[in-house]
Amino acid sequence: MATTVKLDAGAAGHGAEPRGKRDDDGQATYLIAIAEALWEEMERDERVYMLGEDIGAYGGAFKVTEGFLDRFGSGRVIDTPIAEETIVGMAVGSAMEGLRPVAEFQYADFMSSGFDSIATVLGRYHYRSGVPLPVVLRGPSGGYVRASSFHSVNPEPWFAYGGGIKIVAPAFPADAKGLMKSAVRDDNPVLYLEHKWIYRRIKETVPTDPDFLVPIGEAAVKREGTDVSIITSGALVHKSLEAAENLAQRGVSAEVVDLRTIVPIDEETVLNSIAKTSRALVVSESYRFVGIGAEVGATIAEKAFEHLDAPVTRLSPPNMPVPFSPTLEDAFLPQVADIERAVEELSAW
Amino acid sequence: MATEVDPTTAPAEMSGGSRPLPDDELVRMLHVLKLCRYFDERMEALYRQGRLPGAIYSGRGQEGTHVGVTWALRADDSLFPTHRDLTAQLTKGLDLKRVMAQFWGRIDGYTRGRDGNSHIGDWQGNKTFTVMSHLPIAYPVAVGAALAYKLKGEPNVALAICGDGSTSNGRWHEAINTSAIHRLPVVWVVNNNQFAYSTPNALEFPIPTIAERSVAYGIPGVRVDGGDVLEVFEAARAAIERARAGDGPTLIESVSLRWRGHAGHDPAKYMPDELLQDYMANHDPVRNLEDFLLAEGVVTENDVDALMERVEAEFEQGYEYALASPFPEPADATKGLWVEDGYWTSEPGRAGGTEA
Repeated sequence: MATTVKLDAGAAGHGAEPRGKRDDDGQATYLIAIAEALWEEMERDERVYMLGEDIGAYGGAFKVTEGFLDRFGSGRVIDTPIAEETIVGMAVGSAMEGLRPVAEFQYADFMSSGFDSIATVLGRYHYRSGVPLPVVLRGPSGGYVRASSFHSVNPEPWFAYGGGIKIVAPAFPADAKGLMKSAVRDDNPVLYLEHKWIYRRIKETVPTDPDFLVPIGEAAVKREGTDVSIITSGALVHKSLEAAENLAQRGVSAEVVDLRTIVPIDEETVLNSIAKTSRALVVSESYRFVGIGAEVGATIAEKAFEHLDAPVTRLSPPNMPVPFSPTLEDAFLPQVADIERAVEELSAW
Repeated sequence: MATEVDPTTAPAEMSGGSRPLPDDELVRMLHVLKLCRYFDERMEALYRQGRLPGAIYSGRGQEGTHVGVTWALRADDSLFPTHRDLTAQLTKGLDLKRVMAQFWGRIDGYTRGRDGNSHIGDWQGNKTFTVMSHLPIAYPVAVGAALAYKLKGEPNVALAICGDGSTSNGRWHEAINTSAIHRLPVVWVVNNNQFAYSTPNALEFPIPTIAERSVAYGIPGVRVDGGDVLEVFEAARAAIERARAGDGPTLIESVSLRWRGHAGHDPAKYMPDELLQDYMANHDPVRNLEDFLLAEGVVTENDVDALMERVEAEFEQGYEYALASPFPEPADATKGLWVEDGYWTSEPGRAGGTEA
């Protein structure tokens, strides 16, 4: 089970391989787990290469790619100009020629600077041409880190809407590693969202098998419960687990389903949970209106109606920029107490 | 090598009597030019008669650019064209019959009916990018293909045809800049047909030529007369070989005029008539090559007549093929989004009938 580590633990150690940066007890942070996956996939398949801003000598804005330049060279760890449309376009063009690019965005917010290349080319090209585009776009998403409007966005709905791009958003180090390896090996475009609040906060024992994969499209029940299902992803998985623990002490049994993959969504796991609890709380960091929570809620209402004992309930931020000031950000984003309150209201039905 | 040309005065002078290609290739080139011109005219007629669904984007008057630059490519080189450059794709090797099936939304079109008209491509066969309406979006992709050639040590070149309209867009700058930084094997061709839809060059950029923008990227820039297919070809050949040798990109501005509207619906009333008359009289790439080959004794009037008969027959065959090809099956509409459903690696359903 994952544990919480001190915020300043960082990417400890300076060994070349990310695995060398694990803690003394062998546990890896979420960030190190992602780096391990990338390292192993680049070792395994020489078609895999990286491009992005400041990923080479600097090691990336969050140091995920630290040490990669020395190991793999400037031909496979390519520093680009600040040109997001071109980063995505280059990834596409090189994928058309048989390479398997992994493009880093310094923040998922800046995916909007490459929006046209993502939405128009990456998402729509295969359907019209039959040319596979094994492209991974990865970047840190989400809030709770006092980073304000342009470093806190959850971009899932932007890119879920058009189709043609898989979206994964792991919450745990092992899932992060296994999903990254699956993303790199997938022949379709994959948007890989790393929650920056989790990066150095959560660690656990992560498999070392080079072929350890977590399949794209499979959710996971992270805590069993009987009264209410909390359907969530990313940082909110951890906040939901904390809420569930607090609720248990008050006699309320909450089940926590971690979607792990946003596109394609694992309806079966979600609906099975609702069949068990008859109450659904959808907790999403994407905005309430037209957000992922709205879609998941609609799916439950449509396909699990006969199981429901209470209205499907959503907990999501309003459709507004993420504010900076701690009091504002805390009021804006779903908190543990909000989840507890919503579960209790649902369980009262 | 071509230099400055004044696009509004002197008739194009064909390349000085010297012939840069073997005679049989020059005859083939004339055939392609004639075919493309005839295709363009006939498709417009069918569109106006209401017999062609969707849209058309005439490339008439600009065939010298499209054919000239593509002629200099090898089969393994890749082409990133626009919707107006169907002529370039035909030169690269696309089958006219399947191109026409695409215009009628049929299963034998290159996109299996998923897209129409000149939003076409054949990456698997002829290494042409399937055109997207957001034209500048293709240029970063061309950079990526060129990057792959460099990383894999393959001697291929990516060639992108841009409109003058694209040069005002950020992606054009990003792509050329990035290709120049890494000295990638890519050739940038701007078909400057002097109008972006209805917007003239003067409202697109504040400098006399597009070619001079190359200075800002530290790459060579040349300006050629799009009415002279051989001048265009020679400039493209030099740029392509330069790229292939590892010396990086080149910017070629090929000056022409868009003889028709932006698309079939556009009567182009904004086009100054004297400008149009000048280009049609003095910078017609098809007639210029024909006149040159006649003067050089490479072809006779009889040869040209026979060529036209062949072109007309090819068009008729394409038209018959297109209308006989079935529509895609409605149930296949949702297939082929993901690689793993296998739609694109299996034969598609052909039971869609020929009546929409």
